[in-house]
Amino acid sequence: MSKRLPVLLLLLGLVSYSLLIGPFTSYMRNKPMEEKLGYVPSIMLLKPLSADQKEMVGASLVMKVLMYYGGVVGGAREGVLSAPTDLQGMSRLLHGAVQLDPYNMDAYYFAQGILTWDARQFKVANDLLMYGMKYRNWDWYLPFFAGFNYAYFLKDYEQAAHYYNLAGDLSGEPLYKSLAGRYLQEAGETGLAIAYLEGMVRSAKSQAIRQSFEVRLKAFQEVRRIELARDRFAAERRHSPVSVGQLLQLEYLKPAPVDPYGGRFYLEPSGKVATTSKFAFAIKNK
Amino acid sequence: MLNIMKITLKGIFRDRVFQGIMALAVLFLFIPSAASLSMRQVTELSITLSLSLISFILLLLAVFLGATSVWKDIERRYTYGVLSLPISRSSYLLGRFLGLALFLVLTSVVLGGAACLAIKASSVIYPSDRPIVWSWLLLALFFGTLKYILLVAVALLLSTVSTSFFLPVFGTICTFLASGITQQVYEYVHSPAAAQTVPAQLKPVVTAVYYLLPNLSGFDLKVNAIYSIAPDFAGLALTAAYFVAYSAILLGGAALLFNRREMK
Repeated sequence: MSKRLPVLLLLLGLVSYSLLIGPFTSYMRNKPMEEKLGYVPSIMLLKPLSADQKEMVGASLVMKVLMYYGGVVGGAREGVLSAPTDLQGMSRLLHGAVQLDPYNMDAYYFAQGILTWDARQFKVANDLLMYGMKYRNWDWYLPFFAGFNYAYFLKDYEQAAHYYNLAGDLSGEPLYKSLAGRYLQEAGETGLAIAYLEGMVRSAKSQAIRQSFEVRLKAFQEVRRIELARDRFAAERRHSPVSVGQLLQLEYLKPAPVDPYGGRFYLEPSGKVATTSKFAFAIKNK
Repeated sequence: MLNIMKITLKGIFRDRVFQGIMALAVLFLFIPSAASLSMRQVTELSITLSLSLISFILLLLAVFLGATSVWKDIERRYTYGVLSLPISRSSYLLGRFLGLALFLVLTSVVLGGAACLAIKASSVIYPSDRPIVWSWLLLALFFGTLKYILLVAVALLLSTVSTSFFLPVFGTICTFLASGITQQVYEYVHSPAAAQTVPAQLKPVVTAVYYLLPNLSGFDLKVNAIYSIAPDFAGLALTAAYFVAYSAILLGGAALLFNRREMK
């Protein structure tokens, strides 16, 4: 008996392991996204624990957020997300990452993406960018982001010009200064957004991020198309159109605009182009 | 003393520690592909991963080799044989230390070479906005190695007074964790913000602990290597001098204690 015991134990273990591993893997794969993003200890605890691996821990926090976000965006089917994105959780992790490694560009880049368009926390986003500028004082991306946030979201054109100029100085690219000046005055909101998003799509390396910028860019290009049709209509007929349908019917707009977020475009009473999707994916009701 | 150093090195190689490290070094092959996950800083991430891996391996070596080498000798009663030879206990201890230090340097050189290849590979595939300053990378490796050599000295000091390997192993790990944060704690306690919250009696205690424990955060030049930020060379000279002074204290203390230790 005692001789057979180890063999029996090993066999029993092997059999139950092979029975369990399938269901276990599928359980782990299908865990709700919130659980996957997981609990991360407070930064007060994480800092001493990461000892001399702070940069590594910082980078792994950013990776965690990126994997999670990639999963959420990749799971979007026909403009519908399967679950709401845990923006607060992502923001917490990214803030933690830059406290561990204030130079980590991935964290700033990603935070700029989610904190502005998705979470609409412009102040938080800009505070984070200011913090980053203290360290990455050679990087023109951070003032470029801050300038865009001030101009587009906060409508503070004075601050925007300041940061666009800084971006121009750091990149040695006079184009940024002149472009910034022109966009701020002439192109209006939509033009500013399109210029920014085009730049972001070009420089995006991660598939999930590029995809999310491309969708937004497409939506804004459609808005721009409606705006141009609206202005042509107003110029020719001396009164504003009442609806997007009217623009379509009178062939000012062809083909019909499609909102990649699955919404429907309409004209607000002020003439502003809006969409029922509010430029965000709908969330499937469970 | 040189003989003991050679014996120590031979012993480490005989225990197949080096082969183990080489097996871990296979991980360097995956660094370029892991780093390509980064959105905006592939080269920076590859440097982070390489330096972290080297740091981790050196930490394991410093803690386990440093804490077990003398303890193992006493446990296996090798010390009787060794100490009956015409060498002093001090030179036995120093020989052990030099052997371990040399092994750390060797590991660091081999892994550093592998790291440079991995970093070069990622920087060729995804060129970085900021040029890599290789001399600062080497400097970071050099100071990282010094840090773990100092940790070996801590482990040796603890193993001269201990009868088991628990104190040296856990004592060294705790010293390592504490040494990274003493600077922060010291600065916090002496900051105006802490004037109300921290009792006045605690200040001298914290200051004493701060001077007593090694301050290893100065040896960490990873940020300089990763983001090509110029290090403060005068500060580095001070850090190197600090290494010499602190190691001398540790080794001197260890030798004194080892001389007085009773071996039955």
